[in-house]
Amino acid sequence: MDYANLRRQAASLKRSLFDQGYLDEQFCQVEDLQDEASPNFAEEVVSLFFKDSARLVTNIEQAMEKYPKDFNRWDAHMQQLRGSCFSIGASKMNNECTSFRNSCREENAEGCRRSFQKVKREHAVLRQKLESYFQLLRQAGPARTTAVRSGGK
Amino acid sequence: MGMMEENQRERMEDATVDQFPEGLRVLAVDDDCVCLKVLEALLRRCIYHPTMAMDAKTALKMLRTMKVKFDLVITDVRMPDMDGFKIRELIGLEMDMPVIMLSVDCYKKVVLNGINHGACDYLVKPVYTNDIKNIWQHVESRRRSQAISHMSRDNANDERVHPGSLAMSKDSKNKRNDEYDSNKNTESTHSSTTQKIQGWHGQLSFKTSF
Repeated sequence: MDYANLRRQAASLKRSLFDQGYLDEQFCQVEDLQDEASPNFAEEVVSLFFKDSARLVTNIEQAMEKYPKDFNRWDAHMQQLRGSCFSIGASKMNNECTSFRNSCREENAEGCRRSFQKVKREHAVLRQKLESYFQLLRQAGPARTTAVRSGGK
Repeated sequence: MGMMEENQRERMEDATVDQFPEGLRVLAVDDDCVCLKVLEALLRRCIYHPTMAMDAKTALKMLRTMKVKFDLVITDVRMPDMDGFKIRELIGLEMDMPVIMLSVDCYKKVVLNGINHGACDYLVKPVYTNDIKNIWQHVESRRRSQAISHMSRDNANDERVHPGSLAMSKDSKNKRNDEYDSNKNTESTHSSTTQKIQGWHGQLSFKTSF
C-alpha cells in the first residue's frame, strides 16, 4: 500500500475543505492538540461532534414542530449547536446556524425553516467529507511508520 | 517517535521557563461536550490540572466538597440547569475564587453582564491556546490583592504602604462587600463596576469581529 500517496490524498482533501470554507483554523488547533498521549484526538473530537450535533439537530427539529414561532426557544437550541461548530471549526455549518439565528431575531419562521434545511445539509456534507479524511489518515497510518505487515505464510 | 518525545519535553521546559504555574487546578463547566473535550486538552497542554463538569450542580458539588481545592473556575454562560452568572454569584458568596466566563456570545451587553457579575475574564468561543495560557494571571492577581489587603488591614497606620496598593486593597475589599451584600440583585453601582473593570488587567479576551 502506498502510504505516502494516501497521506497526500488526505492533505489534499483537508486543503480543499479549507479552501471551500467548510473548515477554519480552529480545526488546525484541534489537530495540533494531538500528541503521543492522544494520537487520535482530532478524530475523537470530530466523532463526538457528529454524535452530539445529530442530537441537537433533532432537538431543533422537535422544537420547531412542537413550539411554532417560539423563536427564543429555537434560537436557544441553535446557540448550542453553534457552540459545538465553533469548537471544531465547522465554518460553513456555523454560517448557516447564524442565518437561522438572524431569522429568529426577525421572527421570520419561513427564513428559519430554509436556514435549518441548509444547516442539515451542511452537517451531512461535512460529516461525509471528514469521514473520508479520517479514513484516509487511518489507512495511511502514523507518518513515520515503516512497519511492513507480513501477509504471506 | 524519539522526535515527538523531544518536542514534548521541550514544550514542558518552555512551560517552566515561561513561568506557567504548573498544576493550576481548573474546574471547567460546560454542557457542550465537544467544547469541554477541546478545552480539557488545551488546559492539559498548558500543564494545568483540569477537572470537567457538564452541569452547574455537579460543579458546585465538586467545589463544596473540597476534595480538590481548585484555583480557578471556567464556566459557560448558558447551561440548562443554571446560568454561569448564577454560578459566579454562588462561588463569590461561598468561596473566593476567580471565575472566567465562556460563551459563544461576544455582544458588549453580555460581556458587561459578565463583568457586573464579578467574572474576572470573558472568553469567546472558540477558545485559543493563548486565552488559556494567560488564565493563571487571574489567580496570581487575586492572591496579591488578598495579601495586600491583609497587609493594609494589619498596618492601617503604616504610612509606608504605597498609595497604589492601598487603592487596590480598597477595591478588593469593596468588591468583597458588594458580593456579600448583593443577594439576587444583579445590578452593580457604577463605582463597583469601575473597580471590577480595573481589576481586569485591561486584557478583555473577547473578540468582537463576529
